[in-house]
Amino acid sequence: MSPLDKNPVIENIRKSLGRQPGQAVEPRPAVLPPRPALEIQAEIDLFVSELNQLSGHARRVHQEQLAQALDELVQAEEIRRATLWKTPVLGNLGVADHLERLGVEIIPAGEDKHRLASCDLGVTEADYALAETGTIGLLSSPEKPRPVSLLPRVHLALLRAAAFRPDLAQVFAEAKGQGYLILITGPSRTADIELTVTLGVHGPKSLNVWVLV
Amino acid sequence: MTESTHSHQAPAYIEFGEYSTHVPKNIPIALEQATGRFLGNREARIAEMPQWEELRQAAHEIRLHTLLNLDLYLELVEKQVVAAGGVVHWAVDAAEASAIVVDIARQHGARTAVKVKSMATEEIGLNQALEAAGIQAYETDLGEFIIQLAGTGPSHIIVPAVHMRKEEIAALFREKLGIDAPTDPLELAAIARRILRERFLEAEMGISGANFLVAETGALVIVSNEGNGRMCTTLPDLHVAVVGIDKVVPDWESLTVLLKLLARSATGQKLSAYTSFITGPRRTVGEGGAKQFHLVLLDNGRSRILQDPVARETLKCIRCGCCLNVCPVYKHVGGYAYGWFISGPIGAIFSPQILGVEAARELPFASSLCGACADVCPVKIPIPKILLHLRHRVVEGDEFEKPAAPAPLRASASLGRVALSTPWLYRLGTRLLPFLMAPLRRDGWLPALPPPVNRWTRVRPLPAFRGGFREWWAQRQRRNGDRDSRGSP
Amino acid sequence: MKAQLFITCLAEQFYPNILQQMVLLLERLDVQVEFPAEQTCCGQPLYNSGFQSQARAMARNWLEVFGRSEAVIVSPSGSCVDMVHHHFPELFPEGTREHELARDLAGRTFEFTDFLVNQLRVTDVGARFPGRVTYHPSCHLLRGLGLRREAGLLLSEVRDLEIVPLPEEETCCGFGGVFSVVYPEVSRAMMEAKVNNILATGAEAVVACDAGCLMNIGGGLRKAGSQVKALHLIDILASNGGYR
Repeated sequence: MSPLDKNPVIENIRKSLGRQPGQAVEPRPAVLPPRPALEIQAEIDLFVSELNQLSGHARRVHQEQLAQALDELVQAEEIRRATLWKTPVLGNLGVADHLERLGVEIIPAGEDKHRLASCDLGVTEADYALAETGTIGLLSSPEKPRPVSLLPRVHLALLRAAAFRPDLAQVFAEAKGQGYLILITGPSRTADIELTVTLGVHGPKSLNVWVLV
Repeated sequence: MTESTHSHQAPAYIEFGEYSTHVPKNIPIALEQATGRFLGNREARIAEMPQWEELRQAAHEIRLHTLLNLDLYLELVEKQVVAAGGVVHWAVDAAEASAIVVDIARQHGARTAVKVKSMATEEIGLNQALEAAGIQAYETDLGEFIIQLAGTGPSHIIVPAVHMRKEEIAALFREKLGIDAPTDPLELAAIARRILRERFLEAEMGISGANFLVAETGALVIVSNEGNGRMCTTLPDLHVAVVGIDKVVPDWESLTVLLKLLARSATGQKLSAYTSFITGPRRTVGEGGAKQFHLVLLDNGRSRILQDPVARETLKCIRCGCCLNVCPVYKHVGGYAYGWFISGPIGAIFSPQILGVEAARELPFASSLCGACADVCPVKIPIPKILLHLRHRVVEGDEFEKPAAPAPLRASASLGRVALSTPWLYRLGTRLLPFLMAPLRRDGWLPALPPPVNRWTRVRPLPAFRGGFREWWAQRQRRNGDRDSRGSP
Repeated sequence: MKAQLFITCLAEQFYPNILQQMVLLLERLDVQVEFPAEQTCCGQPLYNSGFQSQARAMARNWLEVFGRSEAVIVSPSGSCVDMVHHHFPELFPEGTREHELARDLAGRTFEFTDFLVNQLRVTDVGARFPGRVTYHPSCHLLRGLGLRREAGLLLSEVRDLEIVPLPEEETCCGFGGVFSVVYPEVSRAMMEAKVNNILATGAEAVVACDAGCLMNIGGGLRKAGSQVKALHLIDILASNGGYR
């Protein structure tokens, strides 16, 4: 059969449990039903409230306000260099162009990690959002590299209403076949030194999520 | 590195009694603060969740089901991780696991590794094994980074350096890093961030554990707050994960139950800042992540524990640390007293089963059996029941191990039983003790008794022996002329 | 109603007065009390220490002694009743006569507050105890037997009694049976924390339903030089006026 039959760990387990190779598994016990979604504006309200309570910066942004919002962000966080995901939405909104006009140097997201580490801002688009916990979910691909939401000290994630899911169950059902998913719930934090909460230990200190309306 | 109670070999003997009598004062104070905060937050989370008890029950059932079918789920893990492009290794014991990791590092030519906090790697003493092979492993969780510099072990599962004052940490940074560190926690964290950022970017290898392993697709789940978990598993080309075989979860749906319980139970957060789900190495070059992924599945005695229907519930543990947070014993003595990488109530039942009763015989007794832990455990491990089960193993032995208690102790228990259960002997003792103790009485108390019973009076006086109920009852029966009574003098 | 008294070894040695009070109180409530004189100890100290074979022998004796009568069994100790309820049946394999006997007797063994409130349906026993007290729920009563409200209900009906809540009331006092002598320093730390919480209430007495807790806490209060008394709930309920 398979080489697994000679595996001492598996052998020990079978011996301990009195199980035979290939013996069937009983059905797995039931889980609880997923949380039902609120109406979308209520979900967005909840999401914004939850993330802000965690020292994230969540808000609604109208398309016409985008340039202004980016300007404020660049000023407040002293952004000189940024890197961005390539998604249809980010492209249509012209986020990279806006930033360039603000004098921000754009580093392509495919560059090596040292270059990306020198960026102040990483811009992504959330693939999923969970209102109950103020969480965004990001997949990865060559156009959406993982380090963009990790290395720069400021992370901006744009979020469409369509990305909201009621519960972890739906996110998992859709994302389980992917090679990677990161759920982000607030900025990087620690309380390791005398329980003093410190933000931005390794991951981004400033998490900004703008819900596009 | 300085000597510590946590030499990274598995301990030959755990002296809980000794360690628990020399606890530095700052430890209970720090633990009270930390645990108080976590528990307060947890209370708030539970108040929001009317389905909390159902979640616990579902988690218990899912975890137990997984353990009872562990062979099949592990086979599925291997199949899926390999299909995703990863390499799977099986380690029967700690030495084998460390050797596998060292071997992978060597084959890869890795000289530095960055590590995410992982209890499994502490269990196997991986850092020492790597160091012996000339590979420098850097801890990157702030708390682990600090205790690695200090050369000591963790005092708490979630906040390992919580017992250290910021002044101590600043002094440590000055001494070991040659940096003029201020005593401000934010500044200290910033220093660590700078230093570790270099290491993240330069390291050839990232080492992690996993909070869960999802059999359905072979996904590794890592729960963290700082972001170092992401750094270690995203930036180096090589990612090695050492994961206990008990971490398996059947599928993503059942994972939802556990993730809803874990952070809330640990710190009272709804979710930790980062929850990563990694399946094999990266699928495309451009997306980032490790080029090579190795999974080392660690047994180290867990398969043996599965035989014991009572004690195997220990393996349901999801390492939330809530049992530590509520345990009055733990809060007074801290993590070191438990002698190994895992402490508190879960440590008191895990260590004796992995190390055996010879080495860990003191731990099952390191509890007043108050039951607070069982009340809060998100996966309903019946910790007091398992403690009693292990006490029995220690003193009388059972089908799994011979007793560690010496024969004279067992003999005196037998004598004790005879004295306590033979009615005339017991009644005689009850009558005699007040007289025998009379010279030692002070105002209704016995402030000092000779050894061995001075173990009580060292701490507080014993009430005086009184007895007399049976005589009172008998007198009363005679007075009332009550023929129905079965009482007799 | 008839009830057999399970007096417990600790209460017999150290608090015989509460046993007497319990008898008088039960009789006032029209309970016909029986005292099986061959009872000794339920074996908890041995069970607790891991000596299950010794504890099994003692459990057999206990079952034999109390099994002779059909009457329910009442005891002023949460931990001893917890032993009977949860550990006696575990000591004998399922399907055996002894296991069945253990389950039968467990089903009719009641801790004192449980008996009064849930069996006799009584909360007001006519007691009067002017004074300020605080209540410490013992671990076996609280978590072992799930008896969270009974003592409070009984205390609330005592006339002239002021009850002050105890901070961290559910935290173990550090007795833990053999634990107190196996790890005396840890037991000390827990006991002192409990004593400090009691002193902070300004109460004149702490009330509990377990002799083990009372021995530990009472001794600790005395060691601390305090005048605060450690009383069993029965001391309060049997009282018709202040301290004796």
